[in-house]
This record gives sequence, structure tokens and C-alpha cells, in this order.
Amino acid sequence: MLNANSPLASGPSYSFATPPNQTSTNIKQHSFNPYTDNGGSTLGITGDDFAILAGDTRSTSGYNINTRYAPKVFKIGEDDGTGESAHIVLSVVGFAADGNALKERLNAIVKMYRYQHGKPMSVKACAQRLSTILYGKRFFPYYVHAILGGLDEEGKGALYSYDPVGSYEREQCRAAGAAASLIMPFLDNQVNFKNQYIPGSGEGHALEARKATPLPRAEVEQLVRDAFTSAVERHIEVGDGLQMLVVTKNGIEEIYDPLKKD
Amino acid sequence: MFIARSEYDRGIKYVSSFPESRLSSTSNTPPSTFSPEGRLFQVEYSLEAIKLGSTAIGVATGSGVILGVEKRVTSTLLETSSVEKIVEIDRHIGCAMSGLQADARSMVEHARVESQNHAFHYNEPLRVESCTQSICDLAIRFGEGAEGEESIMSRPFGVALLVAGIDEDGPQLYHAEPSGTFYRYDAKAIGSGSEGAQAELQNEFHKSLTLQEAETLVLKTLKQVMEEKLDSKNVQLASVTKEKGFRIYSDGEMAEVVGRVPTN
Amino acid sequence: MSSPFSINGGACVAMVGKDCVAIACDLRLGLQSLTVSNNFPKIFPYGDVYLGLTGLATDVTTVADLFRYKVNMYRLREERQISPQTMANLVSTSLYEKRFGPYFVSPVIAGINHTTGKPFICGFDSIGCIDFAKDFIVSGTASDQLFGTCEGLWEPDMEPEDLFETISQALLNAVDRDALSGWGAYVYVIEKDKVTKRLLKGRQD
Repeated sequence: MLNANSPLASGPSYSFATPPNQTSTNIKQHSFNPYTDNGGSTLGITGDDFAILAGDTRSTSGYNINTRYAPKVFKIGEDDGTGESAHIVLSVVGFAADGNALKERLNAIVKMYRYQHGKPMSVKACAQRLSTILYGKRFFPYYVHAILGGLDEEGKGALYSYDPVGSYEREQCRAAGAAASLIMPFLDNQVNFKNQYIPGSGEGHALEARKATPLPRAEVEQLVRDAFTSAVERHIEVGDGLQMLVVTKNGIEEIYDPLKKD
Repeated sequence: MFIARSEYDRGIKYVSSFPESRLSSTSNTPPSTFSPEGRLFQVEYSLEAIKLGSTAIGVATGSGVILGVEKRVTSTLLETSSVEKIVEIDRHIGCAMSGLQADARSMVEHARVESQNHAFHYNEPLRVESCTQSICDLAIRFGEGAEGEESIMSRPFGVALLVAGIDEDGPQLYHAEPSGTFYRYDAKAIGSGSEGAQAELQNEFHKSLTLQEAETLVLKTLKQVMEEKLDSKNVQLASVTKEKGFRIYSDGEMAEVVGRVPTN
Repeated sequence: MSSPFSINGGACVAMVGKDCVAIACDLRLGLQSLTVSNNFPKIFPYGDVYLGLTGLATDVTTVADLFRYKVNMYRLREERQISPQTMANLVSTSLYEKRFGPYFVSPVIAGINHTTGKPFICGFDSIGCIDFAKDFIVSGTASDQLFGTCEGLWEPDMEPEDLFETISQALLNAVDRDALSGWGAYVYVIEKDKVTKRLLKGRQD
């Protein structure tokens, strides 16, 4: 049995490795910790006619690296293994086991929807469904921050972000996971042009804010890369590889770029 | 070898008012058992039950669907407004019924729950076909379960529905039977006068029918097959349109449409 | 939240440019979620050297006054202005004196060494460990956010105007994602022969 004072037991928490606490009265207190934080970060940005979901591929437990390639972004609703028929993407960051379970479940539901209703599920419908799935486990939540991406009914890029219990919102961009606090303010500035004003447009309150307009795809891709290389520099749980899924009317394109492995 | 047809027929096990028949019988044939000829008599009988019901008609046009039913006013003391044969399932789906009305209640309730459930889960209205399918899924839940446990329903439903609705594919009309099968129709009549009415619809229906023409077609057809003289009290109309969704006609509107029906 | 470092909130950042440095801070003073003041600057000038202090507000004022005293004594005894490097060592040793009862502050230093003419920035933990960075230093409750914005926006050898824009954007966007920081900002751009102090309007929420 692990010594309770061993660095392994007293360090970052592990799912099942926590030994019973020995109290002074010699009563064993058992505990079960069903969650682990597997680190990593995800990010989604939409454009006029596309949506990009990205995530790093590192998986960690405490200071250990489990693997350098564990995808956090998934195609949803493909029925032939090629991904040709999929038009929705999901990213999950947090507890990887819950993330995978959630992905599998949503995937099954989206497929069943097509069989039952004879049409592909819209991103709007999928967004609502994902919310009810997450809320369904309100008292034993999927420990994940999910982002759903695709194209809406008008063909415009759509992005929905969720908290672990299903509260959701449609947004232009969203960062999630370990380095969300690093990436999000950068995105506010570079995607929604927050705190940017049109030079010479006025004095004081008359100064006109720069309006957010959808960015072209190449620019968004570069922003994603910059956001992740920045996060890798400053966050130990982020690194190894960058996986991007780009949804356009022509289908889903997958891009993989290496990141620093240190 | 083969047990007599009457024993397949009865669904003996489930007839609670005749417990002795169960005792005297050598077999416990549930209503969902095939006869040696490959028929499900209980289902066939349920179809017969519908033929006893009042006539209901549905006509689908490009701009909406019209549902019409006859109310059998069996007594002058009957409050006609209490006869409910057209009901709302959701804002965009309604249905007309013919047969055992009590059975229709549970089917409609099921469909309503299904529709609300879909809207809750998917933030979009349920499709008309999916709604009809869910009704039919319920319709075949009679007989005994897979492990032989008691089923909730001892017999098939004794009612047929005309499901009218509108979704992204436009206005649609479906006919759902107790057998669990359903078909889509441009125009369909069910109930006691269905044979004559269907023949009339066959002659009169065309693709470019307007909603107003459909209203008069429904009433005109009902009039031909009804035993009573048609007036605004013994028929009921409803429509499903893109603009207003499902709507049962008010007394005033009924009087107006009845007034339009040619007197021959 | 009960950490002394995050009771009052606040953010500070310093950046290096081409022959110039910049240092900026927010103006908020709070008591947990309650904002008490929107005019609480966290940068203190000591001659040519600028010291930014975030953390427990009482320690911020105390430490700022303490260094006023120490730097004045240095100038009187040495008959010269303190250099940024010397200031860094003074801060470090002073903080370490309180190794087992530290001031709950995260200091940042920015200045130009007038002997060498080179820009200098550095940061500290609360017990005086120096972080000599070549690019930027962040501190305060919005430090995570500042790391992200600085890492994304900073580039080498920026002219003073670009440096001002960069540090301003880095700070404003970072504090907008931190509930405990914000409410306007001060930005100092330090060049060899000139220091420009600007007051930035920020979100008031």
C-alpha cells in the first residue's frame, strides 16, 4: 500500500491511487476520487463560412505525461469511418475518460437522429441535445469543458461552449481547459478586437470601438497556432501536438502541427 | 394440432369480465399470436372498429392541411362542443380521429409528450413523420413482452388517426392505423363513410388545390357520406398552416365555410 | 480566494522594447468581490527606477514606503541615483529579510540603466527570488491572463509607440478577463531621456 506521506499520494490527486487516511484513533477513512484532471487546452473560432476547433494532444496526470498524442477534438455523427458524412465537431477538455464517454454518447445520438428523422442533425439541435446530456448528469457531472462547432442553417460558422453541467452559449470564439485563462484574453483582443478603437474617430467617450468582423480562414488558423505556441511556453500541461478540425461546406479537414515537447 | 380460430380471436387471457372463459380454455392465446393462416385477428378486428367510427377527412395542399370530422349528434340534449375529435399535438401538428376515442387520448398524449420531449432535447419542432412514427411505435406495444411479462396494453388500439402537420418539408398528412403502419396521403378519409368519401376525394383532389378549396372539399365530401344533415354544429374543421400552425375553426368560421358548401 | 495575494486584486506588467521599457498597472482596489476604489495605482517611481507592486494592499503601501525610505538613504549616502540592477538586489534582500513572515507582494521593476544605457526589467516572488526576464514580467491576480496576452502580443525591439500600444493592449485585455483587476490603468513608457505616463480608460466593471 502507498504511504500516505509519499509524494505520489500527497501530490496531485489520482483517481484510484489515494490510500486510506490513517487517523489518530486508528479509524481508516476510505475515499474514492472518480475524477482526474488530464490537462490540455482547446480552442474554437468561427469565421463567415467555417469553424475551427483545435486542441493540443498532450495528456497529463499531475506532473506525468500519459501520452503525447491523445486527441481532444472529434468528428461527430460520421457513419462510415471516413468522416465524410460528419459535419459537427466536438472538443472536450478536462477529465479525458468523461470526455471520451461524452463524445461516444453524442456520436451515437447524432447517428440515431439521422436514422429516426431522416435528416442530418443541425448544429443548433445538437447544441441543445449536448446541453441536456450534460445536465442529465447534474449530480455526477462529466468533468469536461466542451465546445461544439459546425455550420448553422445559413452555412455560417457556429460555435457553442458549455460548462460541465450543460449551461451553454453561442460565441465567436472560446478557449477552454488548462490554458484558457492565457488564451481567452488574447482571443478577445485578436478576434473580437476588444479594447481596440478606430484612431482619430473621436475624443473620450466619442471614440469609436473597432467592430468585430469575421476573419478569413488563413488568419484564424494562424491565430490558433499563435495562441497555442504561447500557451505551450507558459503552461506545462499544454504541448506536444496541435490538432485542428476545420468545418467548411466541403466537409471536415484535419490539420496536425507539432508543438514543443518540453 | 391447430386450435380453433375462436380461441385465437378472443384474447381470452385478457378478458377480465369473463374469467370463467379463461378457466375453461385449454390455451392462453394472447392477442398478439398469429393464427395458423398468418393473421393477427385482434389487429384485424381493431381495423373493423374504425369502420364503425365517425368519418374523418384530411386534405393536404401546398399551403396547409385541412382536417374535418363529423360529430355524431346522438341527442338533441348533447352539448356538441364537448365532442372532441380533432385535437392539437403541438403548435405545428394536429390530428383527427375515428374509432374508440378513449384510445386516441393515450395516443395523442404520447405524441404530445414525444413532441415536447423533442423540442426540449433539440430546440426544434418534431417532424410530422417522426411524430406519426412515434404514435405507431406505441400502437404495436400490445400483447406480451419479450420475456413473457404482462404487457401494459392487452389489445391493439381501436382508433385510426389522421395526423396533419407542417415542418421543413412543408404541409403533410399521415394516416396511422392500429396495426402500427402509416402512410402519407394527399387526401384521406377514415371511419364509417370512408369508402364513399375516399372515392370522392380521388375524383376531386388535385395538387393545386387552395386551402379554401380544401375546406369546401372536406365539407362537401363529409356531407355526402353523413347520415345527418350537415350543419355548422355537427362537423368540425381544423387547419395546419405555416403562418398560424394548428388551429381549430371557431363557430363563426365554421358557419362561414358551411355556408360556402354547395347545396345540391 | 482567502490567499492574501488575491484579497485586494490588481495587476502589473513590465516590457522591454528597443532602447526603452514600459511598465503598467491597473487601478482597482477591492475587498474580495467588493470594489473599494478605482484610483489605487500600483507603480511607484524611485528616481529612474519604477517599482510595480501587486498583492495585499496594505503591504503594497508599506513596501512602497519602505523602499522610498531605503532609496532615499541610498541616494544620500551614495550621492547618485539608484540603478535598476541595484534596486533589484535591494528589493530581493529586503524581501528575504522577511523570509518567514513575508510581505504578500509580487514586485516588478522597470528602468533604464543610465551607465550602460540598457533597458532593464525584473520580477520577484514575495520572498525576493529574482526573475530576470529579457521580454516581459507579469504579476497580480491577472498574471495568467497577462502571460497569455504578453506571450501573444510581445515582439523584440519595439519602438516606444509600439511598446506603449502592446503593453496597453496586453494589460487591458488581461484585466478584462479578471474580476479582481481593471478599472483603468497607468502606463509608463521609459526612454533614455524621457518618461511618458499615460492614464488609460478601461472597462468600469
